[in-house]
Amino acid sequence: MPSSRIMIIGAGIMGQGLAEAIATAGHDVTLIDKTTRLAQKGIKGISESIDREIGKWGLTESDKRAILSRIIPSSDLSEADDSEIVIEAIPEHLQQKRDIFAKLDSICHPDTLLITITGTLSISEVAEATSRPEKVIGMHFLVPVSKIPVVEIVKGLKTDESTFNKGVDFVRSLNKEHITVNEYPGYVTTRIIVPLLNEAMHVLMEGVSSAKDIDRAMKLGFGFNVGPLALADMMGLDVVMNWMENLLAELSEHKYNPCPLLRKMVRAGKLGVKTGSGFFEYDQDGNQINGYSKNVQSLIAEEQS
Amino acid sequence: MKILVINCGSSSVKYQLIDTTSEQTLAKGMVARIGMAASVVTHKPLDRPEVKLSAQILDHIVAIEYVVTMLMSENHGVIADKSEIDAIGHRVVHGGEKFTESVVITKELMQELRSLIELAPLHNPHNIRGINACQQTLPDVPQVAVFDTAFHHKMPPYSYIYGLPYVLYRRYGIRRYGFHGMSHRFVSDRASSILDKPIEELKIITAHLGNGCSIAAINGGISVDTSMGFTPLEGLLMGTRCGDLDPAIILHLMGREELSLHEANTLMNKHSGLSGISGVSSDMKEVIEAEESGNTQARLALDVFCYRLKKYIGSYTAVLGGVDCLVFTGGIGENSPEVRTRTCNGLRFMGIELDDEKNNSCQATETDISAVGSSTKVLVVPTNEELVIARDTNRLVGKTNETVSV
Repeated sequence: MPSSRIMIIGAGIMGQGLAEAIATAGHDVTLIDKTTRLAQKGIKGISESIDREIGKWGLTESDKRAILSRIIPSSDLSEADDSEIVIEAIPEHLQQKRDIFAKLDSICHPDTLLITITGTLSISEVAEATSRPEKVIGMHFLVPVSKIPVVEIVKGLKTDESTFNKGVDFVRSLNKEHITVNEYPGYVTTRIIVPLLNEAMHVLMEGVSSAKDIDRAMKLGFGFNVGPLALADMMGLDVVMNWMENLLAELSEHKYNPCPLLRKMVRAGKLGVKTGSGFFEYDQDGNQINGYSKNVQSLIAEEQS
Repeated sequence: MKILVINCGSSSVKYQLIDTTSEQTLAKGMVARIGMAASVVTHKPLDRPEVKLSAQILDHIVAIEYVVTMLMSENHGVIADKSEIDAIGHRVVHGGEKFTESVVITKELMQELRSLIELAPLHNPHNIRGINACQQTLPDVPQVAVFDTAFHHKMPPYSYIYGLPYVLYRRYGIRRYGFHGMSHRFVSDRASSILDKPIEELKIITAHLGNGCSIAAINGGISVDTSMGFTPLEGLLMGTRCGDLDPAIILHLMGREELSLHEANTLMNKHSGLSGISGVSSDMKEVIEAEESGNTQARLALDVFCYRLKKYIGSYTAVLGGVDCLVFTGGIGENSPEVRTRTCNGLRFMGIELDDEKNNSCQATETDISAVGSSTKVLVVPTNEELVIARDTNRLVGKTNETVSV
């Protein structure tokens, strides 16, 4: 029988967030990436994230030691044979995900819960890369993982009841709530938020109002914690555009067609918080610098001329 | 009966194996620094030397396994087999309004205990973890929960109702509950024995000063007021907890620093108190050392601690209409002559006067440290919450066994 250790594949933003949240909840985690150095870099990112949380009084130094002691970096996928739960959290590329699941199929214990983290892709297509699609389930965690208390649990066409129940237990053990989603492109959160972000970008591009005022309107008017443009910056504009293209391909609806301004910004490498510049400008810690991005202003001017 | 008493804190498990016939502690010990770099297990069998070992202990389940292993160890153990443990008594911090006395733990009870987590987020989860860990390691042994809140359940409503809309009391049970009940109960009983006067005739103020600190006004053996309230956060300054605070400060800070509920909660519970003011440590010993070497923030932390304690002694003297006896207990209360001196300084007008020599030489033993002419007796009484738990557990499990055999 495998141990209660949880393996996370992919030490990027999502993998780091998952590892932090899962280790904070008391589980032991193996964090995997292509090289151990990349996995260690992921752990460094987690350590910095915890430091920010200590600065905001949310955790203490002793919490930090306990959390970090539960996370082990590795680059050896074969260690998945000793994990009760394996979570794949690499970027949204179907073929890469399928390759990993094909490998996991030959490594993992028959009872291992296999989770793919995705906001848009088909769980069934990922699951079919294995000989046990009934043991595969999808989950969509929202970023920042440690703070957002809801998880979409996505059933593939063949996901069985016991796999689903294990998934629910796991999400509960992280002190999060879940919603149940039947496989369909975009699930709930992504599908609803994407057109909203797209529309906010159109409103900006058409010169109806400034980025700052659009965000203020939605925050004050509808009680959003973050305005739509700042939210897109946080998610990463390339990621947002990727979602739109996936939804457009799946559903062929014009409303998912990425706003031309978004396309331009992605092409120009203005990807939001992670590059320091998106609809707003950001300092190294990811804090919004007051005022409004000049780069965007010139891109909008081009669009309007 | 041999009773294993378990007291699970946030990062420690204290345990004692008590023979209730002789009221002797067969072994006691502590697993400290759970979840930190190097955990330490200290185990002291009766009449044999203390043993210490360090290990990586990341949670309470592993800690309880260590406890049972130590109790049965060939060289340092006191029992040959698990089955010699007749019952387990747990300290549970919050009993809400439902639990006014100790109870045998059942499945239904666990559910009710879990529903109380919101009331004591810093303690009840660890207490529950301890109970679960024992159920795993010792599944057939009956377990009893003894509550910190129970002793205070006779407080009059004017003492436990807050100045909020009354409907909130009815809807959510928002009221003061008080904590450290076993300790206040134990040391006030001891005070009555030491003074050789029936407790019904005594007005006692008991100050329990440990990691958490609280003070109680005890009139004729009944707690009529205490400084901890709805949660163990209110009242005195503590190691990492802020105690009394203008509630508007938290609203202000939550807006100013965009703090979440969780962050505001940890700010008040883990980043404040002696540690927050001094910036040195949550440990009074280390704060006093820093103060002696000239650290002004450490001095301030110490001053705030003793000043607030003094204010409470004054107000409880008014509540009781005089005071016959002031008791210091808990780690700081038992071991810190500095804190006792600073707190009692200037209280001669109400009959409190210390004998400096007795105060300075007293080290965690039952001692009358008041000066000869002091009309109010000042006592140091080491608390023994474990014995209170063992006695209650013995009584309840004994009762259940009788019922079963009939």
